[in-house]
Amino acid sequence: MSLLNVKNLRTSFYTREGQTLAVDDVSFSLNKGEVLGIVGESGSGKSVACYSLLGLVPSPPGKIEGGSAIFDGKDLLKLNEKALRAYRGNRIAMIFQDPMTSLNPFMRVGDQLIEALRCHNKTLSKKAAKEKALSALEEVGINNARERIDSYPHEFSGGMRQRVMIAMALVTEPELIIADEPTTALDVTVQKQILQLLKDLQASHDLAVIFITHDLGVVADMAKHILVMKNGRVVEEGSPADIFENCSHPYTRKLIAAIPQSAKPDEFKYDSSHEDFVEAKNVVTHFNNTRGLFRQRIVSTVKAVDDISLNIREGEIFGLVGESGSGKSTFGRSLIRLVESQAGDIRIGKHRIRELGNTSLREARRDFQMIFQDPYASLNPRMTVFDTLAEPLLLHKLAKKNEVLERVNHLMDEVGLERKHIRKYPHEFSGGQRQRIAIARALAVEPRFIVADEPVSALDVTIQAQILDLLLKLAKKHQLTMLFISHDLSVVRYLCDRVAVMQHGKIVEIEETEKLFLSPQQPYTQKLLSAIPRIHTN
Amino acid sequence: MLRFIAQRLLTAIPVLFVVILITFTLIRLAPGGPFDQERRVPQVVLETLNKRYNLDDPVHVQFFNYLGNLLKGDFGPSFKYPTRTVTEMISTGLPVTLELGFYALLFAMCIGIASGVVAALRPNSLQDYVPMSLAMAGICLPSFVLGPLLILIFGIGLNALPISGWNATPGDKILPAITLGAAYAAYVARLTRGGMLEVLSQDYIRTARAKGLSPLRILTHHALRGGLAPVVSFAGPAAAMLLSGSFVVETVFQVPGLGRFYLQAAFNRDYTMILGTTIFFATLIIIFNLLADILLVWLNPKLRENMLKS
Amino acid sequence: MSELIQELQQYEKGRSLWQDAFRRLRKNKLAMFGMAVLSIIVVLALLTPWIAPYSYEQQDLYLGATPPSAEHWFGTDVFGRDQLTRMLYGSRISLMVGLVATSVALLIGVLWGTIAGFFGGRVDAIMMRLVDILYALPFAIFIILLTVVFGRSMLLLFLAIGAVEWLTMARIVRGQVVSLRRQEFIEAAVAMGLTRWQIMQKHLIPNVLGPIIIYTTLTIPSVILLESFLSFLGLGIQPPQSSWGSLIKAGVETMEEYPWLLIYPGILLSLTLFSLNFLGDGLRDALDPRASQD
Repeated sequence: MSLLNVKNLRTSFYTREGQTLAVDDVSFSLNKGEVLGIVGESGSGKSVACYSLLGLVPSPPGKIEGGSAIFDGKDLLKLNEKALRAYRGNRIAMIFQDPMTSLNPFMRVGDQLIEALRCHNKTLSKKAAKEKALSALEEVGINNARERIDSYPHEFSGGMRQRVMIAMALVTEPELIIADEPTTALDVTVQKQILQLLKDLQASHDLAVIFITHDLGVVADMAKHILVMKNGRVVEEGSPADIFENCSHPYTRKLIAAIPQSAKPDEFKYDSSHEDFVEAKNVVTHFNNTRGLFRQRIVSTVKAVDDISLNIREGEIFGLVGESGSGKSTFGRSLIRLVESQAGDIRIGKHRIRELGNTSLREARRDFQMIFQDPYASLNPRMTVFDTLAEPLLLHKLAKKNEVLERVNHLMDEVGLERKHIRKYPHEFSGGQRQRIAIARALAVEPRFIVADEPVSALDVTIQAQILDLLLKLAKKHQLTMLFISHDLSVVRYLCDRVAVMQHGKIVEIEETEKLFLSPQQPYTQKLLSAIPRIHTN
Repeated sequence: MLRFIAQRLLTAIPVLFVVILITFTLIRLAPGGPFDQERRVPQVVLETLNKRYNLDDPVHVQFFNYLGNLLKGDFGPSFKYPTRTVTEMISTGLPVTLELGFYALLFAMCIGIASGVVAALRPNSLQDYVPMSLAMAGICLPSFVLGPLLILIFGIGLNALPISGWNATPGDKILPAITLGAAYAAYVARLTRGGMLEVLSQDYIRTARAKGLSPLRILTHHALRGGLAPVVSFAGPAAAMLLSGSFVVETVFQVPGLGRFYLQAAFNRDYTMILGTTIFFATLIIIFNLLADILLVWLNPKLRENMLKS
Repeated sequence: MSELIQELQQYEKGRSLWQDAFRRLRKNKLAMFGMAVLSIIVVLALLTPWIAPYSYEQQDLYLGATPPSAEHWFGTDVFGRDQLTRMLYGSRISLMVGLVATSVALLIGVLWGTIAGFFGGRVDAIMMRLVDILYALPFAIFIILLTVVFGRSMLLLFLAIGAVEWLTMARIVRGQVVSLRRQEFIEAAVAMGLTRWQIMQKHLIPNVLGPIIIYTTLTIPSVILLESFLSFLGLGIQPPQSSWGSLIKAGVETMEEYPWLLIYPGILLSLTLFSLNFLGDGLRDALDPRASQD
């Protein structure tokens, strides 16, 4: 008999715009000690489906419309709030995405673990509970747990915090753990450790796990069975091998195709005989942490960019990879002087960037542009697409007033947006469309060089693939030189001609992309590459 | 932590100095001297008076003399009632005002936090609308309207509660305390609701629910601490509000507190009294702000650690 | 340019955030009620000299205080003056104080907050520390002090109240500007080569306008309240002129005998405060960027 059997689950949300079915007729089951992967993009209903089981969907606006979820002989959906509480955190525990916000910042981690234990077992003494909490923390790999148990969440690093979160789920010895994107907020190398930990714990405790993720690669070698969800429905299910080799639904195929596995397509490779277009020599950017009544005291200095030199050839897409805090974004911004650097020499085309005065810098800016990470924040919410795109044209006098409309329309065509939408506002578009608008804005001034700072990492995977292809095409067509900043190695491999790996403000290794991926020289590069979740299929 | 408190105290001193300087200068700038009477006072008498109060010294000397006396806790004599000193008047009025303020605060905190929490638990339901409408009423019915209304209803209409005096008849503190506390309770309720809603939408509340905690425990152990932060930071401005509110309440209910002395002094142009009370009030409010700051840091482990580091 | 606009008209039209907000506001019954009541009070106050049934200083000592009647809808005061007339004239003064002092607060607060927020760093630290310090001062007391020292003049009242209320405005505007400045679209504007002034004008101000409108609506009632408070204590508007506060003061003195002299001005003041607060809350709900994100 299966541990959990969900049948025809339906959950809807009631909003101002009306009712939407977030989970539409979802069924699945899993046995003791099995891992089920639920894969889908944002809005697919994958999380809502699991939250519905435990009554964690906020109501209103959410409402479970029907179905059943038999857990160990009892229908969870029929239980009242009080009876359900006996399951939550006790027999079914959860792990959430962002350990920073999911742990109570005002409470010591030990107390948060002990509380989980004692609320389900009132007879357990405080002392016994603390011992159990200690051994759980030790099990998830927290060193000197006896000291750390009295720390607050902010005193741990991101990976350690997620370990605490896992310990908290584990401490009550549940039969089922629901993990909702448990590694999404983490750096790749940390993600690898956490995945390994989850795998080990699952095996040693014979746990059933529902693993919710947007990333097929993450669950591929862990799950026994995978559901692919889209718009609240299960579009495909099967073993990982089934999914990867004989998937039938077009959406699943799209998802798999969206995982960039391959090298950069030959037709987009650059001509290595070109001259250097961007030169950076010994660039240093520091940030001062100031304190005191009038911020007059410098307490510490962060060397965000610490003596970096690199050259980018004309027409090249140059990748800059690193984990969060490596200084890669700061370097990109220092290049085009969105952040002031303290030392070094920067040349872009004919401009010596660090020597330009205010006015000449503003004029020079039409030669280099930037594409930002978050398409929700990078467009002025009170300007129409037309205004957004016309602004740079008029500012740099690239079009006369009677030509502006034609030019804007042309830009819309280039980035694959319909012309009729130019009088709309950013909030009326999807994330992918907004990123297209942002790209069009950057292209409007016909720049020679573009800094793209994680331009796809806020987007769903299928959208990512489209935007990447758009960037490749535009770069070739306009012979753009590009610095592409990303934490995602597979994306970089697909897009870039050469790659630099950054760590702690310094460059660890610079190499042709394929050479770097096939034979990385530096230990850090090797560690990064080995952390990419890979799909092992026979 | 001690260092943080010391640092804050150190910044409070220049503020206080500036307050004293401004007040002192303003009083000196005032047209007409303190002894201007309807009947002209003979020149000789005026000179003796000026001599007696050291008003013939240069202004800066007067200022530093005054400052020196302040440090000794001496606010000087009252111009209007030469037999009484300002310090005396403050010390008779202060306990009354403090007691009134304390009851008002107690009333405001109990009612305000409770109704704010109740409203936040079920937003956009009857449970939210009723207390929030009352809070809106509390803000829109200023104390000088509410006080007289309460007197009309409970004192004169129902004859249920005494309407004036202090410590004279049992229950004579109820109406003044409610009148003074009402607006404050309303603000606290709105702030609590806002803070609680913010906290209740946080991820860690979802974690607490996923752990199987009861709603009551989630409220007391997880939500309240963060949710009350806006209320705590309101404590400083609230102190100022309570003080100025006490002017009205003490007038309406004839309570012999500091507020009433201050108003009398203002009407009588009793300069030393105004000077003394203003400085005293400012000190009180600066101390309240300081306490609120410290409490806010103490409640937040992250801020606490930052303070310890610096 | 007009040709361009004409040509643009042919494209599908979008809904701006302002239009969205306005639609939400119109659905909010309390806010619309507040707006209606306010409009009535403002129109009546504007038309007072023409519609007031009596002159505001016309006394009738033989008549004395009379309860509401057909000749005097809201009764008369102890001097036999028509209460309705006095309330109408009082509205003019109270509303004017509200508007003028709020404008003073608006002007100082917005400038101060924008400059501090936009320049950041040490400029910001110094400017905002000053605001913190002023915030900690007992301002009601200072205003009383000022009225004692400089006499009770209307101009002083405007300036003093405005000088108190700008602090919160500066804090709010500064907070908004700081959070906006971190947004990528401001960075994009810098990257495009816009000058600081162009960025402020085209990207910053349109986006802080919402919070400013909300807070202005909420400042007016607190200014009116402050004026009434001072007038009630006898330190604000002086007879024969009247404001809501001074009418209430007069009402309280004789409330046991002539309660209508307290109740009507009290209702008028509270009704205005209610309306402004409802409107302010409604605007907040309508303009809140978080609400329009979904």
